[in-house]
Amino acid sequence: MLAFVIRRVGQSILVLLIVGLVAFSMFRFVGDPIDNMLGQERTIEDVERLRAQLGLDQPFPVQYFRFLEGAIQGNFGVSYRQGREVSEILLERAPATLELAFVSGVLAIAIGIMLGVFTAIRRNGATAHIIMAASLIGVSLPTFLIGILLIYLFSVELGWLPSFGRGETVSIGDWWTTGFLTESGRKALILPAITLGLYQMTLIMRLVRSEMLEVLRQDYIRFARARGLKERAVNFHHALKNTMVPVVTVIGLQLGAIIAFAIITETVFQWPGVGLLFINAIQFVDIPVMAAYLMLISVMFVGINLLVDILYVFIDPRLRVDRTGGHS
Amino acid sequence: MKRTIFAFLASTVVALPVGAAEFTWAETTDPQTMDPHAVNSTPVLGFLNNVYEGLVRRGKDMSVEPALATDWEPIGDGEGWRFTLREGVTFHDGAEFNADDVIFSYERASDEGSDTRSWFAPISEVVKVDDYTVDFMTSAPNPIFPSSIANWMIMDSGWAEANNATLPDKENGNYATINANGTGAFKVTAREPGLRTELMPHDGWWGDVEHNITKATLTPIQNPATALAALLSGDVDFINPVPIQDVARLQSDPDVNVIQGIEARIIMLGFPHEADALKYSAETSDKNPFADVRVRQAVAHAVNVPAILQTTMRGNAEPASQLVSPAMNGYSEGLSERPAYDPEKAKALLAEAGYPDGFSFGLKCPNNRYLNDEAVCQAITGMLAQVGITATLDAMPVQNYWPELRADNYDMYLLGWSPGTFDAEHPIRFLAATPNEEKKLGSWNFGGFSNARVDELLPMIQSEIDADKRQAMLDETAKILQDEVAYVPLYVQPLVWGTRSNIELTQRPDNFFILRWVTVN
Repeated sequence: MLAFVIRRVGQSILVLLIVGLVAFSMFRFVGDPIDNMLGQERTIEDVERLRAQLGLDQPFPVQYFRFLEGAIQGNFGVSYRQGREVSEILLERAPATLELAFVSGVLAIAIGIMLGVFTAIRRNGATAHIIMAASLIGVSLPTFLIGILLIYLFSVELGWLPSFGRGETVSIGDWWTTGFLTESGRKALILPAITLGLYQMTLIMRLVRSEMLEVLRQDYIRFARARGLKERAVNFHHALKNTMVPVVTVIGLQLGAIIAFAIITETVFQWPGVGLLFINAIQFVDIPVMAAYLMLISVMFVGINLLVDILYVFIDPRLRVDRTGGHS
Repeated sequence: MKRTIFAFLASTVVALPVGAAEFTWAETTDPQTMDPHAVNSTPVLGFLNNVYEGLVRRGKDMSVEPALATDWEPIGDGEGWRFTLREGVTFHDGAEFNADDVIFSYERASDEGSDTRSWFAPISEVVKVDDYTVDFMTSAPNPIFPSSIANWMIMDSGWAEANNATLPDKENGNYATINANGTGAFKVTAREPGLRTELMPHDGWWGDVEHNITKATLTPIQNPATALAALLSGDVDFINPVPIQDVARLQSDPDVNVIQGIEARIIMLGFPHEADALKYSAETSDKNPFADVRVRQAVAHAVNVPAILQTTMRGNAEPASQLVSPAMNGYSEGLSERPAYDPEKAKALLAEAGYPDGFSFGLKCPNNRYLNDEAVCQAITGMLAQVGITATLDAMPVQNYWPELRADNYDMYLLGWSPGTFDAEHPIRFLAATPNEEKKLGSWNFGGFSNARVDELLPMIQSEIDADKRQAMLDETAKILQDEVAYVPLYVQPLVWGTRSNIELTQRPDNFFILRWVTVN
């Protein structure tokens, strides 16, 4: 068992190293940061001096090794654009993304499960059909379009909600800022949270619905009904509970996706999170920020997958690799 | 007692004019630093012009006017310039402004790590005469020096020393990267890079207050559609820029105003003057047709600039004939005619040059640098094809574009140039002079255009004090550049700002947004 965990951790580290390598080799195609850092009156000499100062004249393996060396010590360097520590900037931006991801995740799960159960129980009702049709929009419309549509409806036409930003925030502790405690902060959260969570919501809804339909056909549900149990008890206690296993798995995996996909939502709403930071970094060829962000996201994904893998083994003994060195 | 109350009331009225208001605005790019000597770019210098001040500044019509210097005059026979400083000026932190701050700011701004050091290339020495007089000695007579330092901003020496920011630090940043302490009409009261920068009026400012702002907030909004929505919904009072395709729609909305003008930037086509052969041609790979002036003339006649302005720019730009726009100092009035659109003449010129059937080549173009840049290049590609020269268009983000041009990977390219000094000498120095690293000339002359007479005229222009003689030399240079078709100037880039209808402001062609000219009604 321990050997399995160690092997999985080892594989995860390898994946991280490869992700870093691929990301780093791509940076050369993003462009040259020097032009953004110097004005039009710069001389060729200035360009070369700055390039040498930043170590960009070094061959790519050297640059990558230097980055790894710093990253292991938790030092991601200094942003080319802002001239500040990357780790400081990331910490400053993380609360915005995490709060947005949290709210849209909760929204997606709550509404998704509710609608899923509803459309499964009333699967022939008109409302259920309308919901199912509408859910196609959530799956198929691109995020930025949904965002822009929401802004035009609720900000420009109706004037109810702010069109961009995070509203006023309150500092908690050393570095966390929250928008939950002010009215403008809560208002600002609504549209981005819907935009970001819509896809996950429809996904969860459709999953719950099909699992639920499957379960409702089972004999024990029929027996439960035959015993005269209340409809609500049958649906929620017996049926829903048994549909949750695959749903929870998917939700876990979607958690990472919500944070990673926040890039687009954050750009549309000028939401001051790490995704927006990353987009800015690409435009400016801010290599230290891009590298740190990509590493952070891959650590998150790899971490979640590792956790899921290990949990599976605990839950399902069939997945345990036999000691004679089996396969997986 | 009564008098005292009356006086008190009167002073309250003065301090808070009727309709005093908060103001919020959005720009595409956040100023990346608060350090006025670290980055020489429009977002940074434009913003910091509200916070810091120079010895001189530019007025609403771009003319140079006194700021921290009340007066300036040439020394002797063009040995330098003497500036008389304004007395009684205080920095935001209360420190007094004097000649030591000027000397300090000169040393800081001309340091090797400063992006503004090229402004001080003509300076040999700066001498403090007394606390309110400073002499700038130049190695050669320099008539345009005062106007070339309008964006050079003065920092308090004591503040910089106390906060360990005596030199700009582009790589690691320092205190001055996120904090500011100038003498300007506004002081930075809060700064969250990339999110929000808050300004409040500087109570001790020396000038006459024209604005009625109590607090101003800058928020960067990258996505043009979001910025537009923010303006329409009233979340912001002003956005820059307004996407050209939305201008017509905004004009029909009574709640917002569109303010249009032309920027100082000329958009032009450049050629590989020095190349031996085309790089991206299917059949003409052994010679360089663009080395022949007739081919370059043909290109100038083949591009229908009025049509591009009508369609791609929706009538928002002006055609250009020279490397500077008519608003710039030293513009050649007599050369305002640009080559007429005449495809027949273009074909004849090509035939004469030995390309009756045309040729193919590669056109490089940025797609996120200038307004609608890629669309303009597409239009040009179509127009050139009609006279028989077929371009393969390769459009790319600007961060990839400059390295391509530096590596000479083009047969023709699109370039925009905005003269930082607002003088016709500027593009000659950077775009027309023969590239020379040592003399720091021609650093953006990618194609290596070279003309002995232009190289000879440039230093003479730089040191000529007599305005008429200087203009005659500028005219001669402009004429050579037109005759030789060193570049094909296309148009002056438009400037489109959007405001709520209760906002009054002044738009300047350098695309600087000056807060002290804003009135909220």
